[in-house]
Amino acid sequence: MTRNTSGGRRIESAFARARAAGRIAFVPYVVAGHPSLERSYELALGALDAGADVLEIGLPYSDPLADGVTLQRAGDAALAAGMTLDAGFALVERVASARTDKPLLVMGYANQFLGPRGTEAVAQRLAEGGAAGAIVADLPPDEGAPLEEAFTRHGLAIVYLVAPTSSDARIELIAGRSGGFVYCVSLAGVTGARGEGPMNLGALVARVKKASTLPVAVGFGVSRREHVRAVAASGADGVIVGSALVDALGQDGREVERFDALCRELVAATTPVEATSAA
Amino acid sequence: MTIVQEIAARRAADLADIQVEAMGTPSATRDLLAALARPGLHVIAEVKRRSPSAGALATDDDIVARARAYERGGAAAISVLCEPHWFGGSVDDLRAVRRAVHVPVLAKDFVVSSDQLRLLRDAGADIVLLLAVLHDADALGWLVAEARSLGLEPLVEAHDAVELERALSSDARLLGINNRDLNTLEVDAARAETLRSLVPDDRLVVAESGINDPRQLLRLRARGFDAALIGEALMRSADPTAATAAFVWAGRVPADIAAGDRQPEVKICGIVDEDGLRAASAAGADYIGLNVVAGTPRALDTARAAALADEARTLPHAPKVVLVTADSAPAEMAEFVAAIDPDIVQLSGHETLDALAGVNRPAWKVVRAASNPDAALAEARRWIAAGCERVLIDAAHASKLGGTGQLADRATAASVSRHVPVMLAGGLRPASVAEALREVPALGVDVASGVEIAGTMPLRKDPLSVAIFVKRARAARFDLPLTPSRPQRVDHGLVDADARGRWGSKRDLGGRFVPETLMSALLELERTYTDVRHDPTFWAELRELHSNFAGRPTPLYRADRLADALGADVRLYLKREDLAHTGAHKINNVLGQGLLAIRLGKERLIAETGAGQHGVATATVAALLGLPCVVYMGARDIDRQRPNVLRMETLGAEVRAVESGSATLKDAINDAMRDWVTNVESTYYVLGSAMGPHPYPTIVRDFQRVIGDEAAVQVRNVEGRMPDVVVACVGGGSNAIGLFNRFIGEPSVRLVAVEAAGDGIATSRHAAALAGGSAGVIHGARTYLLQDGDGQVTEAHSISAGLDYPGVGPQLAALAIDGRLELASSTDSEALDALRLIARTEGILAALEPAHAVAALPRVLDGIAPGAIVLVGLSGRGDKDLGHLARLT
Repeated sequence: MTRNTSGGRRIESAFARARAAGRIAFVPYVVAGHPSLERSYELALGALDAGADVLEIGLPYSDPLADGVTLQRAGDAALAAGMTLDAGFALVERVASARTDKPLLVMGYANQFLGPRGTEAVAQRLAEGGAAGAIVADLPPDEGAPLEEAFTRHGLAIVYLVAPTSSDARIELIAGRSGGFVYCVSLAGVTGARGEGPMNLGALVARVKKASTLPVAVGFGVSRREHVRAVAASGADGVIVGSALVDALGQDGREVERFDALCRELVAATTPVEATSAA
Repeated sequence: MTIVQEIAARRAADLADIQVEAMGTPSATRDLLAALARPGLHVIAEVKRRSPSAGALATDDDIVARARAYERGGAAAISVLCEPHWFGGSVDDLRAVRRAVHVPVLAKDFVVSSDQLRLLRDAGADIVLLLAVLHDADALGWLVAEARSLGLEPLVEAHDAVELERALSSDARLLGINNRDLNTLEVDAARAETLRSLVPDDRLVVAESGINDPRQLLRLRARGFDAALIGEALMRSADPTAATAAFVWAGRVPADIAAGDRQPEVKICGIVDEDGLRAASAAGADYIGLNVVAGTPRALDTARAAALADEARTLPHAPKVVLVTADSAPAEMAEFVAAIDPDIVQLSGHETLDALAGVNRPAWKVVRAASNPDAALAEARRWIAAGCERVLIDAAHASKLGGTGQLADRATAASVSRHVPVMLAGGLRPASVAEALREVPALGVDVASGVEIAGTMPLRKDPLSVAIFVKRARAARFDLPLTPSRPQRVDHGLVDADARGRWGSKRDLGGRFVPETLMSALLELERTYTDVRHDPTFWAELRELHSNFAGRPTPLYRADRLADALGADVRLYLKREDLAHTGAHKINNVLGQGLLAIRLGKERLIAETGAGQHGVATATVAALLGLPCVVYMGARDIDRQRPNVLRMETLGAEVRAVESGSATLKDAINDAMRDWVTNVESTYYVLGSAMGPHPYPTIVRDFQRVIGDEAAVQVRNVEGRMPDVVVACVGGGSNAIGLFNRFIGEPSVRLVAVEAAGDGIATSRHAAALAGGSAGVIHGARTYLLQDGDGQVTEAHSISAGLDYPGVGPQLAALAIDGRLELASSTDSEALDALRLIARTEGILAALEPAHAVAALPRVLDGIAPGAIVLVGLSGRGDKDLGHLARLT
């Protein structure tokens, strides 16, 4: 359980600051190494400057079974261009030192954290690099103890995920072990922007809030203003946007202006619209 | 009044004035109970002219001819309706049928008085129906006693739990569960099955009504019914002999070669007379126990014991003789053995290890269960190490010699039995033996008081109890194939996953590394599978599909010419999974998972496939079960296994090409998992190998273990012992674990996994996850895989699509790490050469996958003793590879 690590507390503070400013937190996602290492550094800074409260940096993986086509392709392209775990860690370090006030999370898969690199080495590197923690898409808390142990010693948080299919008992388990926030996967599916966006969020968010005082952020499928507003209306404390931003970068990942514009647009939507009188 | 009450009232009125004269001597009662206590489900065939529910039934009035036809067809008894107004029956019919047949006859009447019982007995009835719905508990009990006193065996019938409780308290030995509600005539076809578990196993149980298809008897037998009463279906048949024979056939214990290996042995102990001997032999007991311990209730003097032993040896299926002794001095022991010549000597006292020296026969030692499990196990191990053949676990009363009749400490017995060969004893009886055998992996059971006639002196065995005891004991293991039935002499982490799905002696392999969206599906799968493990009807249905659809058992073929060509002086046996339907072992797993999907109520099947064999098997079973099916296949694999793609599409499945990653099996798995994550409520993922998140490695192993279970029996049949070496190719590991599972706990058997070396393990182009990989997480499990320093999964390379997977299942990884599994590998070209060799020397076109296993044999068998028995898994046929071969040659 990594809630009380320095990383976990930094993340919770970021959510608290957003709340104090009258909006939900904006958590964008950038793929390390896509379209290039240097460009992904610029995109990370751009997203933070556009108003992100917390930033997720995805570590490309060979077998991303929780990811849809957009993130699969971006990750494949980055790996083909020679992306490595070390380059990803270096990116995190650069971004963290350039923008010290915003917590950074890496997102990856179990074998990157529990595999040949060694859990201890990964935890150490992330902590030294200034990361706040990690989200591991195929690591449920049932298997999380070894990683939690190493992360706790290095002051890093593990953000766990809940899904609409999770039972109340599982939500209690997951929320109880999560650090930083609880990641609410909005739908049964993989990552990827969808037209209709997240639906029936209120019930899931309420179930998580019953189980924990941690901030709740909703992700998967968010791509438009209306979606962000729906997340805000559901009672969640933050919204996570991934594939939509990668899509905005276009076919070869170079359309930075579109990326920027989408960031700003979505950030703006995190503030509730003033009610206008009908009369 | 309900209809049954109306009928009963009318019957009472009709019979109010009958005068039953002093009964003539009725003919001896024909014994139905003994017939029903024989293995299988037996048919009670009923004659009636009409019924309130079915209307007119008899096309002619020749009830007697029909009864004879039923008897010729193999019916165990004939039921005759005696009620005239609603059923057109009569007591005269009963009399006529009884005279015409030789089997027992059941008087199907609405019994309201004891005079009526006398009337029916006088007419020749051997069994009489008593309806719990008509009588309260006292009346029922009284009628049962009355009937028995007349030599009539009561069949007490119930329709619901309340009636059943009354029926059970009446002390009836023969219970009927009627699917039909006699108050309303409505039939609930599942009723009997559901209520069976409320009847203790020491009763014989009949299912009634609504049975019109012989196939129904499959489930009823598996559920533990001893008979089915069939009326309308037989009355309407044009050929009653043939129709009866069809039902009789369907009720038999089905052939199942693998089951022979897990049958419990039964010892009837404390035999004191010839009748007891005969009862044991007739019931098929494996051992009889003769007790020579002076001062114990069943003690025999030496001469008597010798006479009984001699007699035992003359009986059909002669049971082996176990001489039960306690603390005999060496001289006394020598005398006993010389005079009685037992097959086994049982040491039941406080003997020390040196007692074995004086016993020149295989020995069993009684170990008490009251001591803590560790102490009991340690003691048992000492005796086995000193040369005892097995240990007999009995309830602990250190001061009393011999059997105590108390229930053994079950947990201790189970714990000891997991490690050493055990006979379970102490307090077992027909009603409790099945449960004991499900909980304790004992090799067999021992019973004395539990099958005796109460109050007799000397203590005599009840032949019916002995027969029921043996029947229930055998059914316990036969109908639940997963029940552990022998000790495993390895760390149990190599044999089974723990509750969290962890394997290995350190319990650090396996597990569930999946996105949260899949956790609920996995938990639901695990819950359902746990139920299914204990459901005999699931396994009965699966066995039928194995037999009639898949073509099991597959042959064990001795390949002498291949052995010669390989230069190996061994007995080489090929287990021919290539002869199973769809041409590979994959069908075993898919049939089981298909039935699971149905049980889970899923509407759609998805699967991944490498070579296409698993995809074809899934498409096959999807068609069989009527479910839509999507198979994910790497684009590169589609290209090299075209025939299988065509097969899948012809079977109605949709094949989706996977372009991402390396476009092979691992990427197909990723896409299948993505589909599952997205469609988790409606979709069942038929995982094709013994890998992936818990519970899949267990489920796939359980459905594939039939390969090795059959092979072990087949090898023992021709060679009289276990194989020396068992060899299989390993991709994900399903055919390998299926073949190996049976032998893991037998340290004398070498297990060899042959991986695909591609261009060579030293190159970067191979698929050997065990020999050339390292620990990590892939596709939901912690196991061994090919990966780079960052944990990125690297592509596997093998000519054979089915082995072209960079990971391996966690159980196999555990076996390899522990040293229980030897590793070997074959390159692409070695496999190709082997394929050609198998074809030319044995006329078998094997798939490239098992060709790897054959290719490795010269290295694996280097230095082996001549005449060693080698078992190789031939996991599939090679038609799919011929086009590929043509391209390469």
